[in-house]
Amino acid sequence: MSVRNFGSLFMVASCAGAALGCYLVSLRVASERASLEDVETKIVLAQRDVRTIQTEIGTRARLSQLERWNAKVLALSAPQADQFLKGSFELAKLTTPQHKVDFGAPVVLASAPAPATHHAPIGEAETDDAGAPVPVAARGMLHEASFKTDAGMREVPSKPAAPAPLAAVGFKSAENKPAAAAKPAPKKAVDKTGLAAAHPAKAVDKHVLASAKPVTKPIRLAKADPLAPLPDRHLSKSVSKTSKDQHTGR
Amino acid sequence: MNAPSPALVAPRPERLRLVGQRRQILAVMHQRLMFGMLVYAGVVAIIALRILWLAAFGDHAGRKEGLTALIPDRGDIVDRDGEPLARTIDAWTIAIHPTKVIGDKLALAQKLARLIPEHSADEYFAMLRSGKPFFYLRRRASPDLVEAVNALGEPGLAIQREPDRLYPQTTLAAHVLGFTDIDGHGAGGVERAFDKYLSDPSTRGQPLTLSISSKIQQALEHELGSAMQEFSAIGAAGVVMDVHTGEVLAMTSMPSLNPNTPGQAMPDQQFNRATLGVFELGSTFKPFTVAMAMDSGVIKSVGQVYNCPHELHVYGHVVHDTHPFGRACTVSEIMMESSNIGTAQIADQIGIQRQKAWLKKMGFLDKVEIELRERGRALNPGSRWGPFETMTIGFGQGIAVAPLQLAMGYATLFDNGVYHPPTILKRGPNNPLPAGRRVFSEDTSYKMRSLLRLVVMKGTGKKADAPGYRIGGKTGTAQKLINGHYSQTINITSFAGVFPMDDPRYVIVVMLDEPHATKDTYGFTTAGWNVAPVVSRTVSRIAPMLGVAPDLNREPNMGEVLPFVHETKE
Repeated sequence: MSVRNFGSLFMVASCAGAALGCYLVSLRVASERASLEDVETKIVLAQRDVRTIQTEIGTRARLSQLERWNAKVLALSAPQADQFLKGSFELAKLTTPQHKVDFGAPVVLASAPAPATHHAPIGEAETDDAGAPVPVAARGMLHEASFKTDAGMREVPSKPAAPAPLAAVGFKSAENKPAAAAKPAPKKAVDKTGLAAAHPAKAVDKHVLASAKPVTKPIRLAKADPLAPLPDRHLSKSVSKTSKDQHTGR
Repeated sequence: MNAPSPALVAPRPERLRLVGQRRQILAVMHQRLMFGMLVYAGVVAIIALRILWLAAFGDHAGRKEGLTALIPDRGDIVDRDGEPLARTIDAWTIAIHPTKVIGDKLALAQKLARLIPEHSADEYFAMLRSGKPFFYLRRRASPDLVEAVNALGEPGLAIQREPDRLYPQTTLAAHVLGFTDIDGHGAGGVERAFDKYLSDPSTRGQPLTLSISSKIQQALEHELGSAMQEFSAIGAAGVVMDVHTGEVLAMTSMPSLNPNTPGQAMPDQQFNRATLGVFELGSTFKPFTVAMAMDSGVIKSVGQVYNCPHELHVYGHVVHDTHPFGRACTVSEIMMESSNIGTAQIADQIGIQRQKAWLKKMGFLDKVEIELRERGRALNPGSRWGPFETMTIGFGQGIAVAPLQLAMGYATLFDNGVYHPPTILKRGPNNPLPAGRRVFSEDTSYKMRSLLRLVVMKGTGKKADAPGYRIGGKTGTAQKLINGHYSQTINITSFAGVFPMDDPRYVIVVMLDEPHATKDTYGFTTAGWNVAPVVSRTVSRIAPMLGVAPDLNREPNMGEVLPFVHETKE
């Protein structure tokens, strides 16, 4: 028996094998397709369910029902014209930051010494470095009336009241020492008029006062500016002692 | 011996014949066998080929047809934002086959009467004994009821699912949508007008998109409905339209019906007042008269002066005014105070022929152009159209149009004078905007803006104003024709408004049929008291949705008209 005799058998077998293989591929394809169709069907069924649920929700929450709920419970109404904003700028305008005082923050005092301003002669406007007139504080414009009758009396123009120690106003702590220089210190005799002239003890030109006495009642004035902070007792003394030097520095 | 005779060797002739026959038979047999084999092989080959064919291209046995895409039995109807307005659902239907009932009929009738109390036990019993094959007991039954009926266990009861048309928003836009009959065919509104589209399998997969916006529709219906209730009106209608495209954004007619149960609706409820009903809408017509006069050169300026006496005797009739001037008045004042006497004179100057031509161009002499089938034909004096009729038409009496037509007229007037037919379908690739036809000039359209804004700012329509939305419009109070005579007490009040007036985008027309006076209106039944507030409230609600931002600093160019208004009253 030679191989040649089995040739046809091999042929048949290989044909059958090839056909079986083809069939298996085809079967595989068919089963894949079937499962795909199952998925498609499931999708469609899910879509149908979604649709049903959407319809139900839509029906239950129909606009007329919402309107009824609004009338009974919510009471929302159409917005007014002024409730609309035209842009981010208008929106930003609505949220102006509030000025907040932080009481816990450390107190920072405005303790810088007043700049050594040159006082212009009386009657002239003060000028700053550039020579431009410096606006005078309103308080400095106040004039004390002082009626003097003595003929020999030196004509003393009433001087503007001493400017209040603005920088120190409101602060009474012990750290306030540098500001003390700005306190109403006893003035030099030259400048001593008005308020300062009423200090009998410290007044240099006593005669002026004495001569004024018979005419008017003694003018009683506060020793210090009542609005100014109360100075430390010994501090004020030392200040009074050094007032001359300090005054030049003013 | 002699040679064998050939006769001895030769077969016998009969035998020879036999051999020949045998051969023949054998050959025939071979032939037949071969033929049979070929047939057999052919059949096998055909089967094999068929199997191969099916294996390669064919469907398999488990394939489910018709579920590869969700195509409803009838197309959906959705609004312009895609919100469903009509859908087909599978609803439970309970029916009975009296001939198949095997249990106790009396007991069954009693149980049915308890579960479905629409009929009494007697009626059910009569139904069961009638011998008829089939009765519907309940369509669109709730699942609870279906469960309870199923629990009766009677084989004669048929419980099945049937496609049913559902309108999720119930009465919303009922007259636009219409309804379907028992066979699922459209019997009104869009359902009827687009029945073919909605039922054709090739098109019904895509929903039909209307131009209606359900939110705007709801706002209009709510405000109009409360006004109708407040003033005890017998009917109402309202339309909101896009000026530039002619799309109807909302359209309502009251009393309304529930399309889910159309059978319960009265004829009055089924009547669409917005498109089918035609009404003499009164003074809302005056702007057309003035615009006609402007376009034809009769009015050269809104400051043109007419003589406005207390009453006008003309062509054997007398024309009255509700707010008579008793002096000379300008066109601006005529509009502001809605003077019939002034408008009548303007209409008289226009003349019959020109008036007819204008009205024809605006479509006021024909049926309203809309896809719906419920369309009313406008009424006019016809052959009796004389000079006096021209005057009355000038101020809106003697011509009857549908509210939708009036809205269309205003849209034309404020869309730079170009007419676009109104549509109920959303404008888009399937429904492009057709080229319009020019009716009024752009200049006239522009001048009318400030004139109508004046009416709302200072004239009869003050209550229609919504701060910031620049509403302009015109009130209309028409005497109702009852039994051939104009009633002195029964009115149809309407308001036609446009907003924002500095760049008109939307038209709103509202109408109340036979409103009654209330304490709050001080006994008045005129439009300024009952429909104008509806416009104000509706516009405040819908304008933000329509993208119209309120602005208290914008107005149309009022400098055109204010110099011609004589202010002495304030």
